[in-house]
Amino acid sequence: MTDSALATNPAQAAAASAVAPKLTVRDLHFYYNGFHALKGIAMDIPEKKVTAIIGPSGCGKSTLLRIFNRIYAIYPKLEAKGEITLDGENILDPRYSMNRLRSKVGMVFQKPVPFPMTIFENVAYGIRHHEKLSKADMSDRVEKALRSAALWDEVKDKLKNNALGLSGGQQQRLCIARAIALKPEVLLLDEPTSALDPIATSRIEQLVEELKSEFTIVIVTHNMQQAARVSDLTAFMYMGELIEFDVTEKIFTKPGKKQTEDYITGRFG
Amino acid sequence: MSSLYLRRRITNWLAMGLSTLATLIGLAFLAWILWETLRQGISALHLSLFTKITANGADGGLANAMVGSLIINFIGIAIATPIGVMAGMWLAEYANRTKLGESIRFLNDILLSAPSIVMGLFVYTIIVLPSTAITNGSTTFSGFAGGVALALIALPVIVRTTDEMLRLVPSTLREAALSLGVPQWKLTMQILIRAARSGIITGVLLALARISGETAPLLFTAFGNNYMALNPIDKMSSLPQIIYQYANDPGADLHAMAWAGAFVVTMFVLLLSLASRLLFSRNKVSHD
Repeated sequence: MTDSALATNPAQAAAASAVAPKLTVRDLHFYYNGFHALKGIAMDIPEKKVTAIIGPSGCGKSTLLRIFNRIYAIYPKLEAKGEITLDGENILDPRYSMNRLRSKVGMVFQKPVPFPMTIFENVAYGIRHHEKLSKADMSDRVEKALRSAALWDEVKDKLKNNALGLSGGQQQRLCIARAIALKPEVLLLDEPTSALDPIATSRIEQLVEELKSEFTIVIVTHNMQQAARVSDLTAFMYMGELIEFDVTEKIFTKPGKKQTEDYITGRFG
Repeated sequence: MSSLYLRRRITNWLAMGLSTLATLIGLAFLAWILWETLRQGISALHLSLFTKITANGADGGLANAMVGSLIINFIGIAIATPIGVMAGMWLAEYANRTKLGESIRFLNDILLSAPSIVMGLFVYTIIVLPSTAITNGSTTFSGFAGGVALALIALPVIVRTTDEMLRLVPSTLREAALSLGVPQWKLTMQILIRAARSGIITGVLLALARISGETAPLLFTAFGNNYMALNPIDKMSSLPQIIYQYANDPGADLHAMAWAGAFVVTMFVLLLSLASRLLFSRNKVSHD
């Protein structure tokens, strides 16, 4: 099979969901110290939908996600080539300010990583870097973020407590609150539930469902059931290539490619 | 079969026996030192040790040496802490995995094991001699020079622990902060330093414990003073220096006072070590 035979029509999925693309990826290549990790990815990620990226370990799904906010750039010897546009502007262009990009594209990681501060400060910290708010406005903003992350009722009486005292699931919702407090347009979730128990996981999934009315969400997950449950679109990646990208229902019921079907049905991965 | 197992069991017992013996020998000496210091020190301990000065010899006390030690140690830590913490931060956050960073880490390790008397001679050359020349001999040896010599000993300890503690902070915390658009300097000064705080404070306390017992670097720098000196530009006495001086004296009374001084220093170091352990175990933050 050649690259072109595998290539998915990038507009196809977006068209299927009938929404304008928020992020477009064109001919994206990525190199880890010379190793070719992503090979010509092209896809359109629609606005205010949940797009899941699935695939076996090492297929490049996290790598792809970490290019959307250029967090990969903090490590040496990593290189991305190609184009990713956010509302029409190329974010891989070095002139695209990192500050601006990261205020527009928020990220939540695999392990919950609250800052060693109070619960309130965890959320306020990022806001304070980008905006100057009065005390009252800041409180409102923090409360709103915590409410959106479905955490407010559990922490409203202990905002001054250290965030490290929260449970793992609460910590992860705090990290989501911290990210959405900046009012980003895109929210990247990198296996956000893989370190959580099933109850905490279902709360996060519920939350993703609620948040998609406000944000464009891209979620990388190891868990195919999770992708099927929470996403509108699903991208299947294998060995650095985007094999198939379509509406979630289609991917899980009648996938277009043999490799996708093999993976979905558990024949490999 | 059984002979193979038998041989392994014997080897196992032998290895365990030898390592246990080695541990016991090491511990026995430590216990002996502590016991001897305790026994000799407590019997010589007297209130006048804390109120009288060394000018009165066997009828006096160690007050000026204790105050001198506190001042010199304070100067040493006050100089070494900001420089050491900043240098450690640079190593861990800005120069980690670079050639320059690795070279400086290596040099710092050499400094860590440099003989302390070399630090004394060095400070004698760069501070004591020039200050003697500039002031026409009115300021020669000084508590300040002693503090600088101790700072040079504490510095590599603080650099090393700060560097290591920061590198223990998981990289996910850095990614989380950077993904909010926070710049590197804010990440380092406001988040990583908090995450590594108890480890860094522990490093400073251990450095203080290390310099509290140093004698050699003070001989050519603070020199000693039989009277109470509070001004750091004066010659200043310190406990280790008095212990050294009294232990060399033929008089049994002075030997007893040296033991009392040794007891005080040992207790101080012991308390510092305990405090640092307590702090580190209580505040150890887990991100896993």
